[in-house]
Amino acid sequence: MIEITGLRRTYRMGAVEVKALDGLDLTIEKGEFLGIMGASGSGKTTLLHLLGLLDQPTSGRILIDGLDVSTLTDYEKTMFRLYKLGYVFQDYALVPDLTVLENVSLPAMLRKDRTEEQVTKDSFSILQKIGLCDRKDHLPRELSGGQQQRVSIARAMVNKPDILFADEPCANLDSENSRMVLDLFREINEEMKQTIIMVSHEDWHKEYFHRIVRLKDGKIVSDGLNEKKHAGQGTG
Amino acid sequence: MGKKELGVAFLLALRSLQRGSRSSVVLTVIIIAMCFTNMVFLPGLFNGIGEGIITQIVDYEVGNVLVAPKSGEQYVTDLDATLDRINSMPGVARATPHFSKGATLKYRQRVLGVSVKAIKPGDEKYVSPLYSKMVTGSYLGEDDTGEVIIGKPVAGDATIKQEDEFQASLGGVRVGDAITIEYGNGYTKDYRVKGIYSTGWSSTDNNVFVTWSDMELVEGKPLDYAEYITVKAKPGYDEKYIKDTLQQYGVTEYVQTTGDLLKKAMGSVMQSFAIINMVSLLVGIIITTVVLFIVITIKTLNSRRQIGILKAIGVDKEVIMHTYGLQVVIMSLLGIFFGIIITALIGVYLSVNPIVTPEWSATLYLTPLDYLTNSLILFMASVVAGYVPAYQVSREDIQSAMRA
Ligand SMILES: Nc1ncnc2c1ncn2[C@@H]1O[C@H](COP(=O)(O)OP(=O)(O)OP(=O)(O)O)[C@@H](O)[C@H]1O
Ligand SMILES: [Mg+2]
Repeated sequence: MIEITGLRRTYRMGAVEVKALDGLDLTIEKGEFLGIMGASGSGKTTLLHLLGLLDQPTSGRILIDGLDVSTLTDYEKTMFRLYKLGYVFQDYALVPDLTVLENVSLPAMLRKDRTEEQVTKDSFSILQKIGLCDRKDHLPRELSGGQQQRVSIARAMVNKPDILFADEPCANLDSENSRMVLDLFREINEEMKQTIIMVSHEDWHKEYFHRIVRLKDGKIVSDGLNEKKHAGQGTG
Repeated sequence: MGKKELGVAFLLALRSLQRGSRSSVVLTVIIIAMCFTNMVFLPGLFNGIGEGIITQIVDYEVGNVLVAPKSGEQYVTDLDATLDRINSMPGVARATPHFSKGATLKYRQRVLGVSVKAIKPGDEKYVSPLYSKMVTGSYLGEDDTGEVIIGKPVAGDATIKQEDEFQASLGGVRVGDAITIEYGNGYTKDYRVKGIYSTGWSSTDNNVFVTWSDMELVEGKPLDYAEYITVKAKPGYDEKYIKDTLQQYGVTEYVQTTGDLLKKAMGSVMQSFAIINMVSLLVGIIITTVVLFIVITIKTLNSRRQIGILKAIGVDKEVIMHTYGLQVVIMSLLGIFFGIIITALIGVYLSVNPIVTPEWSATLYLTPLDYLTNSLILFMASVVAGYVPAYQVSREDIQSAMRA
């Protein structure tokens, strides 16, 4: 569970102060598939980076499973990201010189609690899930955008993180590939009870979210459950 | 920094070299190899020249220890007793006397001034490899009289006209020919040329040798004195040790080791060599350092976002630093490896085809220690050059790196 109180992030550009986030209060439950939506510049990426421990808030508090993450040292934050968080970026951000398998294994290889066999096993099972086992020895540039994004999701999932963050993962994809990626998220969310926090500004994506938080000028303007979705889940 | 982290850093480094820009890797390795070659070649050549000269000085001039007259005297006197005493010392393989006299050689129409050296052929064999350098004929026998061996440049070549000669000679003397030697004291005698030698050491090649007994005839009395005595050490015995024992056991003559003599003769030469060596070392280090620094800096600048992403997904900054640092380590190891191969090949080539001048011949003289120290120096320099930018980029804040 994530609890946010009074979250502010201000960028100072000389004399000008940009309030990217302006006092946010939000609680995100375990297993939620949360959509963060809003216009460009509304603070979506800023919020995601703060939740993902990639940035420091100017003020306010973030508790993840009761832990105040501002108390962590730099190294502890790195380890927290490695063990508990997963990230999917808009531009896939795969290591261009590593094969698909190497990219996916990379975060697992760094974990002290994983043997080499486990790393291999986990990597293969996640590759199977995204349906790219036969491409394991290919380099990212030899894959389509949709395939690369699926590899990037596999990399984010290989350590079975508590929370998966995705910043506009479909922005570079056509609608068919976007659907493939979103279906994959839904599957992960449903099968593994995976918490997913995803930024999007495509309106049609909201059919995938349980709950939608809308930002405007760094403030939450609406926060609501996706009724249709919940109804669907309730009966399914 | 655990084993896993290092393993991941190594994997990232290796893949970046394998699958990144090949040409940049190859060029960098070549530059390092060239710098290594540059660092060891000149010093190796100078050492080779030095070693070559030293070997020849030991072989043909002074042996390991030189016993010369005490100051104020012209000769080492009481020769037989002195030789016996030296020969009985521990560590002495053999001591042999030398005596020379200015003379004029005559052969057909040619006249040539040379220094005639008297040796004891049997003893000389232990001290100098002259006996093994005969190109035609044979070496002097112990009690030969009326026989002489002459250097190849003294003998000359019958096919070269006198006016075309590089240096004056007897114009083509062959083994068995008779030459006339007229000594400074007026004594004149015909000798049969028993052999012609070529040592490659010019002062010896411009001499002629007769036996000690022959020189006694020239002097008209038993030769119980010598200009100097050269002493050959037994293998494993230190020159200094022999010098000390000789002095300790009452050899009152002036005793010097080859080292003593070389220090006097070659001190300034060695100093100039050392300066040139230092310059080539510094140039090698500076080029390597600058090139690696630039290569890695460009690499890190081009992958700032990539580095930000890696940090975001939980790769520690130490791993990032080693990812780039290890690339330098790998490239510099490869460069040094090829550098060693290149210099070794040049060394082999030069040992088959030495650089020959009339005065000396030289090969590349490099010990494993030379290779090791130069490798280490270059390696250290490149590690510093690579880790500085690697360290800097690894400390960059995630936000600015990711938005790069
Ligand atoms: N490093 C920065 N320095 C200064 N201002 C920044 C910085 N990063 C973000 N901002 C500002 O903060 C505000 C929110 O930015 P953010 O990137 O969170 O928006 P966003 O909702 O993700 O937009 P988009 O949909 O275009 O990605 C914007 O006004 C932006 O200009
Ligand atoms: Mg954004």
